[in-house]
Amino acid sequence: MTQEHPATPAAASPTSSAVPAIQVKGVDFSYGDKQVLKDVTLDIPTNEVVAFIGPSGCGKTTLLRCFNRMNDLVPGAAVTKGSIIIEGANIADKAIDPVELRRHVGMVFQKYNPFPRSIYDNVAYGPRTLGERKKSVLDEVVEKSLRRAALWDEVKDRLDDIATGLSGGQQQRLCIARTMAVDPEIILMDEPCSALDPIATAHVEDLILSLREHYTIVIVTHNMQQATRVSDRTAFFYLGEMVEYDTTRKVFENPSHKRTMDYISGRFG
Amino acid sequence: MHSDTPHILREFDLAFEMLRKEVISMAGQARLNLERAMEGLLSRDIERCKAVVADDDEVDDAELRIDRIGMETLVRFHPVASDLRQVITSMKVASNLERVSDHAVNIAKRARKMLSRPECPEITFIEPLYALADQQMRDALSAYTDRNSELGASLQLRDKELDKMHKRLIATFTARLEEGGERAEDFLHLIFVARSLERIGDLAVNIGEDAVFLDSAKDIRHEKPAKPDETA
Repeated sequence: MTQEHPATPAAASPTSSAVPAIQVKGVDFSYGDKQVLKDVTLDIPTNEVVAFIGPSGCGKTTLLRCFNRMNDLVPGAAVTKGSIIIEGANIADKAIDPVELRRHVGMVFQKYNPFPRSIYDNVAYGPRTLGERKKSVLDEVVEKSLRRAALWDEVKDRLDDIATGLSGGQQQRLCIARTMAVDPEIILMDEPCSALDPIATAHVEDLILSLREHYTIVIVTHNMQQATRVSDRTAFFYLGEMVEYDTTRKVFENPSHKRTMDYISGRFG
Repeated sequence: MHSDTPHILREFDLAFEMLRKEVISMAGQARLNLERAMEGLLSRDIERCKAVVADDDEVDDAELRIDRIGMETLVRFHPVASDLRQVITSMKVASNLERVSDHAVNIAKRARKMLSRPECPEITFIEPLYALADQQMRDALSAYTDRNSELGASLQLRDKELDKMHKRLIATFTARLEEGGERAEDFLHLIFVARSLERIGDLAVNIGEDAVFLDSAKDIRHEKPAKPDETA
């Protein structure tokens, strides 16, 4: 961690003795000539929910996508300085296999995107891709994942129905179940409720809170109230810099930086 | 952290400005009621005492308006951080001001009873207590409107002085009361007046604590006040 970094030191180095799930150290990131992340340093503690907030284009989604190397798919996009440590390895290193990384770091997207196949097949897809063929094992994984996604009771009698027939909120929870089926340690969520109505949003938020027991969750959201409801810590980004990172309570009750105050209170954005 | 940057929603700034103006106006009315009640008592002016009782409704109405604006602001704008503290403390300050005005009414009613009786020279004993309570109230309101947490926090310690003065006065008036005679009733009224002034001092402390919370997000209620040499 660099001394001149604007993040709150206490929050950048959580007091928990446990090794952070993700350690971001002085990361710069560019899309070709355009630098979009500047010297970002933060620790994401294990089994916590961390929210990334900030105006569009501030770099929060870019950082999220660094955690499972989704940016590799964008030509010219690269971490140009610093490191991102997950389970002791610098995952920004090109030698790391992104497919293997994504088994440990799952992702849920803005728009729910189940495959046009059965509910069962959607959840079983990941384990099958990893070579699991035994039906009893797959049955167990499907049930466990759907239970954790708080969807089991709603779909257990129609697992063979096509997934796209579910409601929007159910489809998003199915996508979360699909992510959990390969047993990741970290789940990334990129505005997971932006396409959902308030009731479906509440279900997903309730799910996020219950999943904290098993997973570390990083969520990008434009909804300030969602950040206050579901996250333990919040990082505020602006123009590629992390302006403030602290407990969510501190950020929303008494932020340390005026720019954070102006953003969370609706004075700019 | 407080921001003076205008909000994107003009209605947000208008609602907060309205809330601020209502609290300032209510504070002025509550202090005026106290001033008139004490002047009525000290200068034997029954009309001032009557005005206090009549005008208390205005303070009650102001409290209701502030609560309504505060609730609407919470529902419409979901304020956070210092904006949220502004709404919460406005409602709490309004509640304290309403009680200040109630005490002013109590004083005015006691004064009316005393004014129907021969003049009581010991009435002047109450003046220093009033001066101190009034100063506490003025400082509390300044701390609140100026977001001055240092001044707000200082009220806790200064209230101890007011409490001591109150205790001494009660002892004096109680001794006179126990002597009996025709003037016993006057001393009973003065004990209640002193009690109201002491309570007004407590309410000023509450407002001072709200000022600290508004300015610095620190909740100092129920904390033991630091002695002057500890704060230096």
